Formats: sequence, C-alpha cells, structure tokens
Amino acid sequence: MSKWQIFTRGLVRENAVLVLMIGLCPALAVSGTVRDGFGMGIAATFVLLCSNIIISLFRRNIPNEVRIPIFILVISTFVTMIDYMMQAFQPDLYRALGVFVPLIVVNCMILGRAEAFASKNSIIMSALDGLGVGLGFTLTLTIMGAIREMLGNGTFLGMVVFGEGFKKAPVIFMIMSPGAFLVIGVLKALINKYVKKETP
Amino acid sequence: MVITLFVVALVCSIVLSFVYSFTAPRIEDTQKELILASLREVITAAEFVEVIPETLWRAHDSAGNHVGLVFRVFPQGYAAPIPITVGLDNDGKITGVRIATAGEGMKETPGLGAKILESDFKDQFHGKEASQVLLKQDGGEIDGITAATISSRAVCSGIKRGIEKYMDELDVLLDMEMFFPSADRFVAIIEDTVWYALQENDTLGIVFVGKTMGYLADIVFMVGLAQTTAITGVNILSSQETEGFGEQIRSQEFLDSFKDGIPEAISGATVSSDALIKAVRTHVEKYKEYVE
Repeated sequence: MSKWQIFTRGLVRENAVLVLMIGLCPALAVSGTVRDGFGMGIAATFVLLCSNIIISLFRRNIPNEVRIPIFILVISTFVTMIDYMMQAFQPDLYRALGVFVPLIVVNCMILGRAEAFASKNSIIMSALDGLGVGLGFTLTLTIMGAIREMLGNGTFLGMVVFGEGFKKAPVIFMIMSPGAFLVIGVLKALINKYVKKETP
Repeated sequence: MVITLFVVALVCSIVLSFVYSFTAPRIEDTQKELILASLREVITAAEFVEVIPETLWRAHDSAGNHVGLVFRVFPQGYAAPIPITVGLDNDGKITGVRIATAGEGMKETPGLGAKILESDFKDQFHGKEASQVLLKQDGGEIDGITAATISSRAVCSGIKRGIEKYMDELDVLLDMEMFFPSADRFVAIIEDTVWYALQENDTLGIVFVGKTMGYLADIVFMVGLAQTTAITGVNILSSQETEGFGEQIRSQEFLDSFKDGIPEAISGATVSSDALIKAVRTHVEKYKEYVE
C-alpha cells in the first residue's frame, strides 16, 4: 500500500467511528456542537500521532505478552503530558477543550491503532496512519456536531442558521443523547450505501 | 518481560514527574490569573483580598476603600454543580454574575441548560438583592429559561444562598478585625463558634460567639479574648430587646466597658444587661482554655 493510501484509508473507507465502529463513546458524548466535536477530534489526533510514533519506534523491544499494558502506559502518559502542557502554556485552548482532554485516554481507537498498526509498521507509515485515522475521527465528529448543532440549537459555530424563528423552537432532542444515536445511525447507513467495502 | 514493563512504567513516571514539576508553577499562576480575571469581570475594584481561599474575596478600590465582595458558589445544576462567581456592592446588591463556560466545568446540556451563559439571562441579576433573586414562578424577579427550569433555578438559589451566607460572614469578619486589628487571619477551631486570631504564626487570642436569653428573646454576641484573657471587645450580633430599654445593651459605651473588667448593669435595662454580663463571664470561663 502506498503512503497516500495509508493516509486516506482512515478518512472514509476505514473511518474509525462509522466503519470500524470504535471510539463510539466520545463520538456520541462530545458531538453536540461543531466546536466540541472539532476540539475533541484534534486533541485525539494529536495523541494518536504521538503514541503511534513512539510505539512504532520501540515495536521490536516490546514483548508480546505485556504489549497492551505498555500501550496503555504510553498513551496515558501522552494524554497527561498534553493535559499539563496545555494548562500551563495554552490556558485559553485548555479552557475550550478542558473536559475532553482526559477523555482521550478512554478512546479505544488509539489503543486499536497501536495494536493493529503501529506495533507492526515503520515510523513514517505509523505516523501517516495515526494522522489519517485521527483526521477521519475529527471529520466524523465535526459533521455530527454540525448536524446536531444546526438542527438541535439552530446555530452553526454559534451563528444563527435557518433564522431566529427556528432558533427559538429547534429540534431539541438532536443535541441530547437520542440525537447522537440517530445521527450516527444515519451517517453509518449513508457510508454503507455509498462507500464500497474493502475486500479482505 | 516483567523488567520491560517495569522500565516502561519507570520511564513514563519520570517523564511525567519532570513535565509536572516544570508546568505546575505555571499552571498555578495561570489559574490564579484566571480567577483574578473572573473577579474583575463581576466587580470594578483595584485589589482583592482573599478571605476564604478560592471562595470569598473582599474588593477594595485604589484608595483602599472597601467597595464590596466577591464569592464563588457551586449550586447543583441539572448535570453537575455549576461554578458561579458573584460580585456584591456594600449594600448587598449584585454588581455582576459570571458563570463558568463549558470548558471551565459547567456541564449543563448544550442548547438547553447551557443557555444560562447567555447575557439575556445573566444580566437580569444586576442590581438585584437576595430577596429578588428567585424565578418569577417562585415569587422572584428573574425570568427563567424555557425548557431549562432546573438550571435557571439552580443559578438563582445558588446566588441567593451565597449572598445570605457571605454577607453575614463579612459582618462577622469586620467585627473580628475590630477586636484584633493586627491579626492577618482567623482560623475556625469550632465551626461558626470559636476562631483563633493569628498574626503570621502567633496566636493573638480567640474570638467566640455566644448566646443567652435576654428579656424578650435570645441575645447573640461575639467576644474577643486576648492571650492575657483580657476582653478586647464585645459586640451584639442579634437581639430583640425592648426599644429604648433593653436595646441599650447595643450602646458602644456599654460594650466598651467590658474591656475594663466587669461593667455595671444599665438602669432601666437590668434584665438584658445582667443577662449579657453573666453570659459573657461564663463564656469567657468556658473558652479560656483555648488561649492558655
């Protein structure tokens, strides 16, 4: 597979949330608005990229029997590091993302890529894979956030769409939990219909 | 295998403790700046003096005059406690309300409860007193948010309870400072009853609150007791004695006479003043051990 294919694979064809059905918990929980979805996606992409690089770098030194605890240690170290650094040097960004940063640890997508890809491939490939999967995740969460925010709150990034009348009485359940399931279901159906499954 | 895991864990902890050690002071600084910025948002003042750490501040203007206070409350909202910062002027009127954003720990539902952040709702509090801070349907003057009654009601009740609590607290504190002007902080030994007056690490004395039955109702008083067991001041916190008679126990002359030993009863207010004199004496005996 070429480098370009590795990178684009995670965007749509093997989209973590909509095709592989992993990382669903953050996708459902923090896709209420465009900003939340995008912020969560970018933060997760960053951790995914770093952990993929480190795990790929040491892939020959990690014993098979304890690989999962080691992956978890590396991922949680990165998440904690980013949490501290952002609090110290980017307090505004941290205020915007605050809740989502510690949540990245529980995103099984990151552990999944470490296990399925980074522990078997070179550093450059792993970095591209992490970036692709991460951006695919960001794209999904941003689209979900856009649909849910527009229908459920009548706004896009806080700007009023569909007029003031709709904003006063929007489809409120779209920004609550049922809306998340509904949107993720519709997106999954669209992907199933229009994107060809990769033949194994 | 075990050794590899051990080494990885060790390296991770070393890296983290290193990152922590050089970010921690900066995190603390930025946090303090954030708190200070949120204080400035709710009241116009030059300087803030922390009374209760991260909870209550007194606001001073550039000339050092006391212009009001700022407090933080965390009423239970729909999803989680809502962090609110409130500024009050000296008359107990609200000068500003700041509710933490979603990124700062406000977890109300986006689009519903989170509308408490909108200025349409927040600005209603300006200039209101504790008694007016209730939703209209609860008999107050605040318009709640449609479909977010729980969050709007939580904000109101949090602010209302905060005002009632901290206005009293401030009164008590001002009295304590009158008893021990050189003290820089007061530490409660028995909550809401006995405090140590401290200057750096030296104990100057104690302040305690006592209660006794007067002529008509309970008299609540506060006494400052120095290290030498001399009384540094007596003040009445509440009393409902007869106007013009028993209420004379509130006169400064009578209260000041406690500093020179046991005062004479006030003629025409013998029951009230005797009750206070006796109660002060027994309470001093009771709490004396704290200063000895």
